[in-house]
Amino acid sequence: MNALRSLVLKPWIWSFVATVIVWLITIMFTGGASAAGLSQAAFTFAAFSVIVGIGQMFVITLGPGNIDLSVPAMITLSGTVTLKLMGVDNALILPGLAIAIGLGVAVGIGNYAFIKLLRIPPIIATLSMSFIVQSMAIWTNRGIRIKPPALLADFTTSTLWGVPNVALVAFVLSVIAWVLLQKTVYGRWISAIGQSIPAARMAGIPVDGVRFATYVLCAVLASICGYMLASFSGGAALNMGSEYLLMSIAVVVIGGTAVAGGDSNVPGIWGASLFLFLVVSMLNTYGLGAGIRLVMTGVIIIAVIMVASGRKRGRA
Amino acid sequence: MNIRKMLLASVAIACAAVPASALADTSGKKIALSNNYAGNSWRQAMLTSWEKITGEAVKTGVVAAADAFTTAENQATEQAAQIQNMILQGYDAIVINAASPTALNGAVKEACDAGITVVSFDGIVTEPCAWRIAVDFKEMGRSEVEYLAKRLPQGGNVLEIRGLAGVFVDDAISGGIHEGVAKYPQFKIAGSVHGDWAQDVAQRAVAGILPSLPEIAAVVTQGGDGYGAAQAFAAAKRPTPIIIMGNRQDELAWWKEQKDANGYETMSVSIAPGVSTLAFWVAQQILDGKEVKKDLVVPFLRIDQDNLEANLEKTPKGGVANVEYTLEDAQAVINSAK
Repeated sequence: MNALRSLVLKPWIWSFVATVIVWLITIMFTGGASAAGLSQAAFTFAAFSVIVGIGQMFVITLGPGNIDLSVPAMITLSGTVTLKLMGVDNALILPGLAIAIGLGVAVGIGNYAFIKLLRIPPIIATLSMSFIVQSMAIWTNRGIRIKPPALLADFTTSTLWGVPNVALVAFVLSVIAWVLLQKTVYGRWISAIGQSIPAARMAGIPVDGVRFATYVLCAVLASICGYMLASFSGGAALNMGSEYLLMSIAVVVIGGTAVAGGDSNVPGIWGASLFLFLVVSMLNTYGLGAGIRLVMTGVIIIAVIMVASGRKRGRA
Repeated sequence: MNIRKMLLASVAIACAAVPASALADTSGKKIALSNNYAGNSWRQAMLTSWEKITGEAVKTGVVAAADAFTTAENQATEQAAQIQNMILQGYDAIVINAASPTALNGAVKEACDAGITVVSFDGIVTEPCAWRIAVDFKEMGRSEVEYLAKRLPQGGNVLEIRGLAGVFVDDAISGGIHEGVAKYPQFKIAGSVHGDWAQDVAQRAVAGILPSLPEIAAVVTQGGDGYGAAQAFAAAKRPTPIIIMGNRQDELAWWKEQKDANGYETMSVSIAPGVSTLAFWVAQQILDGKEVKKDLVVPFLRIDQDNLEANLEKTPKGGVANVEYTLEDAQAVINSAK
């Protein structure tokens, strides 16, 4: 009973409750026959949202005003550049990944340079960065689509014991993120900065260093996501990242991370990512029109956030 | 060489049509392209075609300038401001791919009042003073179902992949598809998802709905989404239905692969991004003093089983199947509208 109560009080539990409900409603349509297929598809596509969502969560945890809007452009740039450089050569898979990480580091540094040196608010700085990055992606390849190396394409589209490989990668990254946040000094520093920058400074936390590292981390995760997404879907496209702007923020918020910063949680990102995929599948399955579908998606998301935050207020 | 021939032909036609003195010279005229979006491969091919054809036209002195401008944010307000700038810069004609059919009408009217020729294509504007080069999207949707009726006389379940919700092109193509289904009631639309004309979005949407669908005999699409649908069917280990393809090279390449492996048959309908060059020639013809009807229709690009190889060969790897139009093509379109 006690265990159940402490579970109910977890801020991330509501996204999982919502996910299970939506999942049940969706498979009811076929009397349960679609359970395996739907779950597998959900885990595959949720994996990409999880990877970008974790990065965005770190940034949002830094406190009010911190957000990275360059995520979609980063995904596109990393997908285009790495696939062009690998050029279907299996031997270049790891160098390709290294380049993706390098690109992420570069864009992250650029983001923080805008924020710190030019004193531009993050929302404007990362938005301008995204224009630069997106233009670079267009300039690299003019929208020409190059296939991923066969080995990499196989890896991203296959499963291990029924679990999609991309979901496994996302899971490993989530565990690392969780350890970083909960068990390391760096994680404590992020939360402290998110709660109050002046207090963090007084306490001797290297505020700028931590913020810098966090923006770089977010860009690197977005870059890895772009690398995997492009390999998964058989090539990069110039608009492949556009969906992940709202998605990356939505999974953080629905997952129970405090928008005001200072309090984050990794499991919620998974619940929210699965939930967002399943909501669309459910509404598609029941054949609702696009207008109703969009309205319903909005209403359901607001409902989940209200339930989750209502709980939190009750606790406080 | 080709251009010279084209020029000679245009002069010849102009001379035949009207007395030589009435021929207005366009060599001093400036044409601008106002484009609302550049973020996908279709738009990139559209801009490349524009550059290629108008670059030659400028070099050979057909027109003085043909500059392309793209707005950053795909916003109608931003594009309206861009058009106002073009008016101030003194362009003689503006070719528009519009962000909205109605929201630019004010700016377009201003341009017309300033004596500027406005030609809209693909994303057309409703302002009556502008010319419109439109694709019969409804017919495009209908032709997909007609093709399926020939291939599958017994009918079956159809999955519809739509485009971007809220864009009139999506409504028009989908409307055509539904008209087709009404005409051939042996088909039933078992499910409908929005793929946003993007391969990865289509793949995700199809993967989400597929587990709950009965056996699917065919997939009707709007272009750019066929390969993603094929991938989703393969991932779910379901038999590949007849998937109508668009004009992306990966779609055609996949089709060719399947054709060679197991004799897979389908077809592809799309709008060639080179339609921008058609709009350019139409604008040039109007500046030249030609009588041109306000509403022109551009044929859509159809690829069938037998001309697949030829089209695939012409399509750049990773690009989009394309047709660039010549002055003669433009004149043919203009004449057929009369």
